[in-house]
Amino acid sequence: MQAVKILVALLALEIAVFSFTGANFLSSGNAAEILRLSVELGLLAVATTLVIITGGIDLSVGSLMSLCAVVMGALWKDAGWPLETSILAGLLTGVVGGYMNGFLITRFRQLPLIVTLGTFSLFRGVAEGLTAAVKNYTGFPPNFLSLGQGYLFGAIPMQALVFIPVVLLFWVLLHRTGIGRSLRAIGYAEPAARYAGIPVELRLRLVYTLSGLAAGIAAMIYVAHIGQAKSDAGTGFELMAITAAVLGGTSIFGGKGTVHGTLLGLAAIVILQNGLRLSGQPTELAGILTGLMLIVSIGLEQRPGMSRVVLAVGAMALALLIGFNGRAVKTGPEKRLQVGMMPKAKGDPYFISCRKGAEEAAKELNIDLIWDGPTDLDPAKQNEVVEAWITHGVDVIAVSVESSASISTVLRKARAKGIKILTWDADAEPDARDFLIDQATAQGIGYAVTDQTAAILNGKGEFAVVTGSLSAANQNEWIKHMRVRLSEKYPDMKLVTIRPSDSDRDRAFAETQTILKVYPNVKAIAAISAPAVPGAAEAVKQSARKDVKVTGLSLPSMCKTYIHDGVIRSIVLWNTHDLGYLTIQAADALMKGKLVDGFNAGSLGPHAVRGDHVMLGEPYVFDISNVDKFEF
Amino acid sequence: MKSRELAAGVVLGAILLILLFVAPAFFAPDNLRDLLLNSAGVMLVALGMTLVIVAGHIDISVGSQFAAASIAAGLLSKAGLPMPLVGLLVLGLGALLGAANGLLIGRLKIPSIVVTLATMIILRDLLRWTTEGAWVQNLPVGFQWAGLGQTAGSVLILVKILVAILLVAWCLRNLSAGRQLFATGSNPDAAVLAGIRTNAVVTGVFVIMGILSAAAAMLNAIRFSEVPGNPGAGLELKAIAAVVVGGASITGGRGTVGGTVLGVLLLSVIGSALTYLGINPYWEKAVQGVILLAAAASEAVRQSRGLKGAYASR
Repeated sequence: MQAVKILVALLALEIAVFSFTGANFLSSGNAAEILRLSVELGLLAVATTLVIITGGIDLSVGSLMSLCAVVMGALWKDAGWPLETSILAGLLTGVVGGYMNGFLITRFRQLPLIVTLGTFSLFRGVAEGLTAAVKNYTGFPPNFLSLGQGYLFGAIPMQALVFIPVVLLFWVLLHRTGIGRSLRAIGYAEPAARYAGIPVELRLRLVYTLSGLAAGIAAMIYVAHIGQAKSDAGTGFELMAITAAVLGGTSIFGGKGTVHGTLLGLAAIVILQNGLRLSGQPTELAGILTGLMLIVSIGLEQRPGMSRVVLAVGAMALALLIGFNGRAVKTGPEKRLQVGMMPKAKGDPYFISCRKGAEEAAKELNIDLIWDGPTDLDPAKQNEVVEAWITHGVDVIAVSVESSASISTVLRKARAKGIKILTWDADAEPDARDFLIDQATAQGIGYAVTDQTAAILNGKGEFAVVTGSLSAANQNEWIKHMRVRLSEKYPDMKLVTIRPSDSDRDRAFAETQTILKVYPNVKAIAAISAPAVPGAAEAVKQSARKDVKVTGLSLPSMCKTYIHDGVIRSIVLWNTHDLGYLTIQAADALMKGKLVDGFNAGSLGPHAVRGDHVMLGEPYVFDISNVDKFEF
Repeated sequence: MKSRELAAGVVLGAILLILLFVAPAFFAPDNLRDLLLNSAGVMLVALGMTLVIVAGHIDISVGSQFAAASIAAGLLSKAGLPMPLVGLLVLGLGALLGAANGLLIGRLKIPSIVVTLATMIILRDLLRWTTEGAWVQNLPVGFQWAGLGQTAGSVLILVKILVAILLVAWCLRNLSAGRQLFATGSNPDAAVLAGIRTNAVVTGVFVIMGILSAAAAMLNAIRFSEVPGNPGAGLELKAIAAVVVGGASITGGRGTVGGTVLGVLLLSVIGSALTYLGINPYWEKAVQGVILLAAAASEAVRQSRGLKGAYASR
């Protein structure tokens, strides 16, 4: 009860603050978006509430989502099943996975934490194994996609049709039936429940099966929402779901908890993210504040006392206000052009250097630049940010697209509302945007990397590719063109293996070490993700193999030392700083109706526009002769 | 008594035996050295996690602690401090982060899974916010391998890990603090009645966990010449899995250093072994999951426990 009171106070505070600072925060459109964003997480959180009430925990739901999504996609696309049957099979996968958790826990008397940690790894492992983590099922029919993207009566998100009944069923089950009471009994004192004649094993299997079913439903909605089924679906959802439940007053020790409390906890998290975004604040604040809320609300439950409540709420208010840097106050009468610009991943050094260029252009042109996006590669998050910008009402949205299939619908929606759309770095479907800022064609990049590799090998011998995440559309496209170039021009060169690095330097390092040992004839490594190049280079350097050289796509600043060491022969890239700069210049010209061939792109001078492609220029080769001249 | 540890050892032995016949190149000294160095981070974190789990708790903030310590190591070294001082300060930071967890858990009695879930999110997002994922670059030459060069540097790292393993094992066996730890994890109420200050034990364990996370970060970072912006994601679950595979009981009171070492080795050999056996490495996670489940199930077959609390998460 205490927790619910605190939570309601926090929610009220959030809404009060954001209605001042967030543009269009208090609008029916935004309410609909918040609802849409809550659905997948909400389904998991409500089901997980029941699990936690029995004193258990389910860490596997996010992974199970990915397995359900992949099973559904594979049956529909690869096996040619009808969509309805594939969806049923996806849901069934959830039921079976959930039952498996329940079975292992009860049959072997194992702790849920261990069992679901095992299936957490197992489910995603099977999903990745089945698809080699590459396959990305897209092209779902519009009537299915409308389940995740459409509106009922033009205002209510379609997935509410599924979400609300499911939540109601869970509420009735927990709060109005004997089964619900028996779950509490198990959570409070399992032996007592057993003596009272409650079939504990049966109940626990039911709860975990329901949790699996919820993951299945969430997976189907997630696929419909972002338009693709891939093995990365639902990453990290399990901890968010647990956070929502615990924040909503569910005791991690079992016995206590309510469905409506969990919904409040969920609302507190989602509204915080949405409100910060609409206020133009970094979304990392949402994580920080969510964590603080978690500690404060649970801490208060352990040590109740009214004065502390006031203290806590005051502290939260302060935290919220400090987060705002007075930005909202700044919105004066002057109407500046507002551009929302999104990278694939904020943390990627490649995009950090694009940002510098973009900010320079924004300063020159007096443009209000909002730079936001997922922290790590995450197509669902990209959709979320675009939705927020539509609500916020920016003038131009410029996106580096992670998954064309998943973002195009929401970009079309933005266009329909009169927002100009640019894509940069990676394209969406052509009718979903006005212009593409084209840094270099996939063909140009693929050919250039192949040529650099050929220069290492003198046109003859074996080489290996270390890619980013194998699912990234860009990289697969480049590899395709690399293969074309190989067959056309370098018949004596052989690509022996393609390794993933998840765009992680340490992973690229370990993968390259293995390549060097398993394929001793490999004399060249082509790494085509920015952090992978220094990772591969360090591995080659430490192996002391003087006969192996590295090339690839990366930033000069990350590779400088290795180029001087001679481990990296050359890297291929365009000027990333200029790419960011050009994007903002193009946004400005587009709004002024001046985006035509030869438009004036500030310090870059007149620039070519071919059809709806704004050209940056040719890819650039960095080697020992010129690498020190560049700062990005 | 030690059958779970034995099971992990047998499975590891079986995998190594298969490799010996199918892919003897796996046993090249270089490969073994690289494997050990690549698992250095997980090893130290799992070592600390063993103590936490024996105490009847859990820590899922270690990945974030690892990230904070890695970046701190880079920044301090870039500021021109000598490497030993950098190491000391980074360990201090780890102790501080661990103490924050420990106080909230030991004093305020908030469940450890909730506290560390919160500090995991807070720390990770705080780092993302402040660094925006930027790498720490242009480090002084004395950073990589602590300025000792590759051969001496890797020996130094392996020796330090060995020392840490032996030290923790010795303390658990021979110090009264070790016995207090097992007592606290087995039955906290009984431990209080026996005169053990369980609060202090729990707080202390989390401080040690923080120090070991920081040490893991430090030893991992100095293998490279740059520090990436956001390392250590997913480290917590890897470490917990290794500890459980190594035979520790997640309800507390049981676990050995030797078992954990076997667990870490087993789980980290798999990825490399799959490649040597010519199997698609994408099945790595699935195989690890099966091993974890098998480890859990084998305990169930071995001992039929009483009913009390059999299904409680903590």
